[in-house]
Amino acid sequence: MATNTEKKQSNFRDFLQMHKFAAAGAFFIIVLILASLFAPLPYDPEAPNPGVGISPPSADHWFGTDITGGDVFSRTIAAAWIDLSLALAGTFLSLIIGVPLGLLTSVKKRWSDNLVRGMDAFQAFPLLILALVLVSLSGNKLYMVVVAIALINIPRYMRLIRSEVLTLREARFMEATTAVGVPLPRALRKHVLPNVMGMITAQTTLTMANAIVVIATLSFLGIGVAPPTPSWGSMIRAGSSNMISGEWWVAFFPGLFVLLCVWILNQLSDAISDFNTRTIR
Amino acid sequence: MVQQSSVSCPEVNQLSITTTSTPPTRKGGRSRRVNLAVLVLKRLGFFAVAIFSVLSISFLLIALAPGDPARVIAGSLATAEQIDAIRADLGLDQPILTRYFDYITGIFTGDLGTSYFSRQPVITEIADRLPSTLELVLLSVGVAIVIGVILGTIGGYFRGRWPESGSRGIASALQAIPDFFFALLLILIFFFYLDWAPAPSGQLDILITPPDQVTGFVPIDSLIAGDLEAFNNALAHLVLPVLTLGLVYAGYFAKITRSALAESMQSQQVQFARASGLSEWRTLRYGLVQIRSSILTYAGIIFASLFGGAAVVETIFSWNGMGQWALDGILRLDIPVIQGFVLVAGIITLLIYTLLDIVVAWLDPRISYGN
Repeated sequence: MATNTEKKQSNFRDFLQMHKFAAAGAFFIIVLILASLFAPLPYDPEAPNPGVGISPPSADHWFGTDITGGDVFSRTIAAAWIDLSLALAGTFLSLIIGVPLGLLTSVKKRWSDNLVRGMDAFQAFPLLILALVLVSLSGNKLYMVVVAIALINIPRYMRLIRSEVLTLREARFMEATTAVGVPLPRALRKHVLPNVMGMITAQTTLTMANAIVVIATLSFLGIGVAPPTPSWGSMIRAGSSNMISGEWWVAFFPGLFVLLCVWILNQLSDAISDFNTRTIR
Repeated sequence: MVQQSSVSCPEVNQLSITTTSTPPTRKGGRSRRVNLAVLVLKRLGFFAVAIFSVLSISFLLIALAPGDPARVIAGSLATAEQIDAIRADLGLDQPILTRYFDYITGIFTGDLGTSYFSRQPVITEIADRLPSTLELVLLSVGVAIVIGVILGTIGGYFRGRWPESGSRGIASALQAIPDFFFALLLILIFFFYLDWAPAPSGQLDILITPPDQVTGFVPIDSLIAGDLEAFNNALAHLVLPVLTLGLVYAGYFAKITRSALAESMQSQQVQFARASGLSEWRTLRYGLVQIRSSILTYAGIIFASLFGGAAVVETIFSWNGMGQWALDGILRLDIPVIQGFVLVAGIITLLIYTLLDIVVAWLDPRISYGN
């Protein structure tokens, strides 16, 4: 009989085989993060180069240069670290708060109904505007970007987990755990959590994709990560006026990277939920 | 067996609608009507409470957040006395409870304060901009539903064959593209290269005199004024922003339609229709009727979220709508403007959610509200 770790490893191997494409995407994102941290870039991403000015993609500058002569390729790669690490931090924060809250509200049914109704009122806030207000009123602190992402996503985790656990509670094995007197916290940890784990993983990749878009949108509006630190959103902002006069490359490449990351994470989420469904059946 | 929920579309579960597992039975018309009336009353009660909490939270959030509007308005060179004078002028030196009380009583008399910068009453600024945003968002959601549902129907109907993977591919690409980036790409292609669309300079060309304001919707107003040139120009200016939002959100509709339709085409009702020898079109229609409430729910949620979510696209096209107004307000710490926006957006969102709950309950007899 397979031990637990062996089972997990073979699960992982099965996943890689069934969803080669999604796995390749995940690999791309990891390489991108590593590259932006360690790879030697052809030019200094934060140094302007007035002698060059704006120029289209060429052998010297693969993605062209922006109006200050900054190398778009170096800046795009360097931006991956700040954008993706902020997104990861925001996702992590929503996960560690949203999941326990979701589990708790699904157990105490009486007051949780009202809590969820309250959440509806909270969702009635225009969330992007909320994020903007938080970050800009705090004086553009980066940790507020993380907090804003968490605030947007915690209610989503809670709803999702709650709706799932409410059906799980009716299952026979939960009846059995109650009957043999397993204390509730242990029942939640040992019997409920493993059953919703797959769904949480799928949701987490979605949250990450959403966080990347939120961060890019904020810095596109000039809030959050501020130049000269390169970020995809602020690069698109800088290139947006060039778009009207045809210098497309300044905004195009950072935009393409946002698109790629979001697309990969969405595909990954689909692959994970597909994998969950199949392994359960 | 563990029941899989549609993980990838969490927003759909936002309304606490539970579908009972018992087969649909038509209850007696009377009791169903009474139930619906109770539901309507309950939801309206909730609506009032929720509006009040949205107001209070927005007030507290903005009042307690770090950052000093007086300092921002005064500029970096101002002396401490000047900043104090501005603070007193704006009423920011009052205790927070007084300000809260003034704010709430003001709302009931239609007074939302005056903008710190334009010195205009917030309520007039809202009245000027609300129609522009409504026009943009309504048309965009319309385009998104039409394109998305067609795309999703193709995918859901031809499950497991190549049209499904095509529909999936297009939908996932549309979902992944950030709206502001897509807007810029459309401007590059349709304005710069092809010259089919006008410059992103607002709702009309600068050289065209805007029609007299009657409804606030520029195309309608120009028709009322009988100004065909302005009407055509206004339509041309609508194309790119509506296409941006419409296509991006069509991806979401395509996804939800595809997965819901694929399931409903396997339902006993559709199988029975097929077995009875009805035409494929008709069976497809039965399949679509089953999923109409999910699509409607989704449309409502997207409409509500676009109200603030269109802000960035509005800015790119200089649309001068609510979202752009709120963005400018935030960047300048214009607190009455931010609060005014939150109020209107909150009311619209809650109104839509309330209406959705009621309409969906009316459309779908399977839904119970756990009373």
